[in-house]
Amino acid sequence: MKTIIRAAAVAFVATAAFGTIALAGPRDKPAQGKSVGDKDYQWNAGGGEQDEALHLKPDLKNGRDVYEVCAACHLPEGWGLTDGTFPQLAGQHNKVIIKQLADIRALNRDNPTMYPFALPDQIGGPQAIADVAAYIGTLKMNPEPGMGDGKDLEHGKKLYKDNCARCHGDHGQGDNAKYYPRLEGQHYNYLVRQYQWIKEGKRRNANPDMIKQIQWMTERDTKAVLDYVSRIKPPADKIGPKGWKNPDFE
Amino acid sequence: MFVNPLIRPLAVAALLAVAAAPALAADGKQLFTDKGCVACHGEDANTPLDVGYPRLAGQNAEYAFTQMKDIKSGARANGLTAETMKPILDEVSEPEMRALADYLATLPRLAGTGPAGAGKKLYMTKTCVACHGKDGLKPVLKTYPAIGGQEKAYLLTQMKDIKSGARKNGATNAMQPVMHLVTEAEIEPIAEFLANVK
Repeated sequence: MKTIIRAAAVAFVATAAFGTIALAGPRDKPAQGKSVGDKDYQWNAGGGEQDEALHLKPDLKNGRDVYEVCAACHLPEGWGLTDGTFPQLAGQHNKVIIKQLADIRALNRDNPTMYPFALPDQIGGPQAIADVAAYIGTLKMNPEPGMGDGKDLEHGKKLYKDNCARCHGDHGQGDNAKYYPRLEGQHYNYLVRQYQWIKEGKRRNANPDMIKQIQWMTERDTKAVLDYVSRIKPPADKIGPKGWKNPDFE
Repeated sequence: MFVNPLIRPLAVAALLAVAAAPALAADGKQLFTDKGCVACHGEDANTPLDVGYPRLAGQNAEYAFTQMKDIKSGARANGLTAETMKPILDEVSEPEMRALADYLATLPRLAGTGPAGAGKKLYMTKTCVACHGKDGLKPVLKTYPAIGGQEKAYLLTQMKDIKSGARKNGATNAMQPVMHLVTEAEIEPIAEFLANVK
């Protein structure tokens, strides 16, 4: 009798286990990475696909093909939407694109809308990351990015110089080597959203130094500084002509 | 022959496990009747009792399963789900939901009457197509619904509820951030187009 009971118990466990295996498989997401604020969180810890992609020789032709998926939202020109729903990718540093894309698909940065399109079965492995980042690097920037109301720019300029320029550069150019993004010419509403998420800890792959740096800023400060930086004109050789359409997607 | 008494229960277990799984999947059709689903969604899962109820035939199994789970847990509570459907799902276990979802996915979806109005262009340009695929029939993830051929009033309600936040379960967090791109007036032609997909 005991044996029967034990067999039934094992059977139950086994069925449960088999059941789990049947439910698992390709639909499973990777385990979520550490978030800023977690113990042992390290900003830009590197490793994984980020490092792999950085060391691969990009293929621009494949980059164009991969970018077709991105173009549905970020537009064929990489200009994003001026209302900030989708950021401008054109002009962004190669290492920033690689890191953010690798972070989104490794679930180190939450982006439910973009997540499926960042997956390997949609675009490919680390080589695809290298390729699409290189392709994005060929795109010229939107000459008419979204901006704020322009009413508090002097205040914004001072705030920027004192708080942001050290990392993001004196005109918001960022720093490719350090993975700091270009801010100049980015859509204002996108900057506001990301800034807010970084401040609140919702942007999980944020740099803790920046979180500290901006904690004390008021709503007025935020609007002023982001309006200021979104209006800085990137170098002329990085900007595309008004109304340009990307011939690669015609 | 000597059989180690520790191994024997494992062998029995393996047999039971193999026997249990297929029996469950085949139950989907029976469950669809027994649990009362047919009353509202129709025997073919394509003939809803009333305007605004979804067609279920041909739906992605993973999506259908998630919705049943979320309605039962209360994570999805928009429209009639909380008052009408939750009490029914309270009597349905997760393995039964899985069997129902697998069964529904095998049923043929209802083909619509053909292209309709301005909706298709909106569907293509408001980013809907990126996730739900051509004609709303090729979702990019298994957890996303097929929406081509869906009941029009149901589509209208879901778009509005996801936009307003009344529905916020599961993967709607991927859709909500783009819904401000679609105005109230544009929701109707999009629903019209999708409901009529051939």
